[in-house]
Amino acid sequence: MRQEWLGLAVIAVLGFIIMASLRPAFLTPFNLFVLLSTFALAALIALGQMITLAVGQLNLSLGSIGGLVAVSFAGMMDVWHWSAAPSFVAGLALGALAGALNGILIAQFQLSAFIVTLATLAMFKGLNLALTKAQPFYDIDKIVSTFGNASLIGPIPAVLIPTVIATAVVAYILYRLPAGRQILAVGGNSSASELSGISIKRAIVTAHVMSGVLAGLAGMVAVARLQLGQPTIGEDWLISSFAAPVIGGVALTGGHVSIVGTLLAVVIVALITQGLVLFTIDPFYVQLVLGGLILLAVGLNSLRSLLPVGYSLP
Amino acid sequence: MTLALELQGIVKSFPGVVALDGVSLAVERGSIHALIGENGAGKSTLIKIVTGVHRANSGTIKIDDRVVHFASPRDASREGIGVVHQERNLIPRFSVAENIVLDRIAAKTFAPIDYAEIYSLGKQWLQPLELDLDVRRPVSSLTTAQAQMVEIARALSLQSRVLVLDEPTASLTSHETEALFRVLRQLRDQGVAIILVSHKLEEIESLCDSVTVLRDGRNATASGPLRGYDRAALVRAMVGRDFALEQVGRGGFAAAASSESPALELDGVATSLGHSGINLSVGRGEIVGLYGLVGAGRTELAKSIIGLHAIVEGELRVNGQPVRIRDVNTALHRYSIGYVSEDRKAEGVILMHSVLANAGITIWAKLRGALRLLADSRIGKSVDPLLRQLDVKAASRNTAVRNLSGGNQQKVSIAKWLAAGVEILIVDEPSVGVDIRTKAYLHQLIMNLADQGTAILLISSDLPEMVALADRILLMKDFRLVGELVNDKDYAKVSADIMSRIQVVDTVTQRR
Repeated sequence: MRQEWLGLAVIAVLGFIIMASLRPAFLTPFNLFVLLSTFALAALIALGQMITLAVGQLNLSLGSIGGLVAVSFAGMMDVWHWSAAPSFVAGLALGALAGALNGILIAQFQLSAFIVTLATLAMFKGLNLALTKAQPFYDIDKIVSTFGNASLIGPIPAVLIPTVIATAVVAYILYRLPAGRQILAVGGNSSASELSGISIKRAIVTAHVMSGVLAGLAGMVAVARLQLGQPTIGEDWLISSFAAPVIGGVALTGGHVSIVGTLLAVVIVALITQGLVLFTIDPFYVQLVLGGLILLAVGLNSLRSLLPVGYSLP
Repeated sequence: MTLALELQGIVKSFPGVVALDGVSLAVERGSIHALIGENGAGKSTLIKIVTGVHRANSGTIKIDDRVVHFASPRDASREGIGVVHQERNLIPRFSVAENIVLDRIAAKTFAPIDYAEIYSLGKQWLQPLELDLDVRRPVSSLTTAQAQMVEIARALSLQSRVLVLDEPTASLTSHETEALFRVLRQLRDQGVAIILVSHKLEEIESLCDSVTVLRDGRNATASGPLRGYDRAALVRAMVGRDFALEQVGRGGFAAAASSESPALELDGVATSLGHSGINLSVGRGEIVGLYGLVGAGRTELAKSIIGLHAIVEGELRVNGQPVRIRDVNTALHRYSIGYVSEDRKAEGVILMHSVLANAGITIWAKLRGALRLLADSRIGKSVDPLLRQLDVKAASRNTAVRNLSGGNQQKVSIAKWLAAGVEILIVDEPSVGVDIRTKAYLHQLIMNLADQGTAILLISSDLPEMVALADRILLMKDFRLVGELVNDKDYAKVSADIMSRIQVVDTVTQRR
């Protein structure tokens, strides 16, 4: 079977080559470092949304969770003088808790994911602002700020490490663990899953917990990169969190994800963003381009689904 | 003989309805037991109680003489009850093998999945069904029939001691049906108790050992051997009175002039889906059958005619005039073509909406009053006579269609086209999952429509239905028309003729 992400891989490689040949500045180590750091953060955000799409839902509060965890993480180090490690663990736990709240409200009370996460988006943001009074936490652990700027080898940033680990864990859970297969099964056909003895509620809660953890992790990576606990972290995640999975071929109706496709889509989005900068086009056009890409991807997907079973686009 | 499954005094009520009122059922080990009754008699509810989907209000369930309580479907499958529901219950993007062993995946959380083991298990349980399928294929790429066989394999994989099959042959070809029956007989000989829900009495006669008939939520007969019932007796038990099985004939439509051009004509039509060289014509008052195996391209052709898929070559003519139909709106409002979908739940009706809203949906544009407003009373005035004529059984016309039985949903799905007064009606598998009384009713309805001058293109995989209704039968195979025959209503002759022409490998062996 032909891999569905092949087209995306071609686009990503072509984009890379075009940028490199038109703008030699693109290949400078510094630029590659920035590009990969952007990728590291955007990939975590995309995976966080992908996992709720897998179960057939969405998480509008993703950025809001990320922001709350980010300021809490920084606040624990600044105000309580905790070191990085316990703050990090507490941050992951907070993300999981926020995701669990979403999941339990949706599954237990059979509410719409859209409304629940819209409400919690506001709540988490409100909590964030109440904690910070909209002022950043500056005094974070040195390890964190060093990590945020460190490179492993050459242009490869250290912040790629959490992304690589998170991707491997998500892939392992979705493809190898029954818990992950249950998420995809419920997304694919919830009544069939229920009749096979799969707990729909548990699958929904698991997906939202994973989404919350990924959002929290992304928030803390953002703190490391910015070198401070900025309350506005997460505000601009929403559109890109949907853009990458949708472009990457994740079914919005649930039951099907493509991790490679999603990551390639993150690369493509990052290349386009960079491209606009390198070609000195107003960066405010990024949103316009992103929105257009989402529509294009959705259009291509629906074109594909119009064809009867057994047919594929040439 | 020991009873594998015994139900006593099962009562189940839903808000406003008593679905089951003291039903009993006894199924012996190593037997195939038919559970029959009209739509709405309570078969589905009973099946759902046996398989742990619903809980009875009162009554007992015994397995091997032991009283059991099912709180969930998993409890039932743990007690060895396997089920193949009427609707497909598969995870579309998962592989065949993974769907077969889904229950194992449901039972664990963290133990890593061994795909090699899953594939070999999948193969193992597909083998007895003689289905040559790559177990790694996603089930979304399978035909309905193949998907159903996968579900049967899943039920087998649970090594069920009681296997429940709800209308298993509704979408199977005769070859697939035979393969399935062979497997069921083997399972019976191994001591499995099988409960078969079916509307096809021929099937029941050839396969089953014992029978329970339900009517209006009660036992019309207690469980007993099938011997001693002839077909008429079964029908009597189901319907509660003598019922004429034979169809009333057609009055016949007097064509105005033989020179009149056909209502619908396809001339050398090819579609974007792969049909090619399709020539057919349907005159006013004529019923033309389109027969073929599942996957032959009949539904796809129908959808191309109403504008859902592009016609890329040839000409489509309505009343002799060449037309281009780009969407269903044009098909209905400009050319008066209606299409009754085979998939009534997904395409025929809007389950959440009322009977009235469903039946009137095609004439909203016509009925708009002042300020383009739509009043229920106006819709009701046009639709009520039809609902009465079709004998749609619903608490009121404001009842959600979801709450109607399958047969009544189908009537609503047809009613909306009658409301629109279409001149050309394409009817796709009108009686799948419909009881015999409703089926006879639908047949009469189709014939009456033809008698009134409607041109009807009938798609059906039910050969007796085809022979009963069609004037001419067109045969379709692999998206082409491969033959045409005039139907002289002689079932044996027509079926032999058809089978030889579409060259199915197997012979028709459903009657034994």
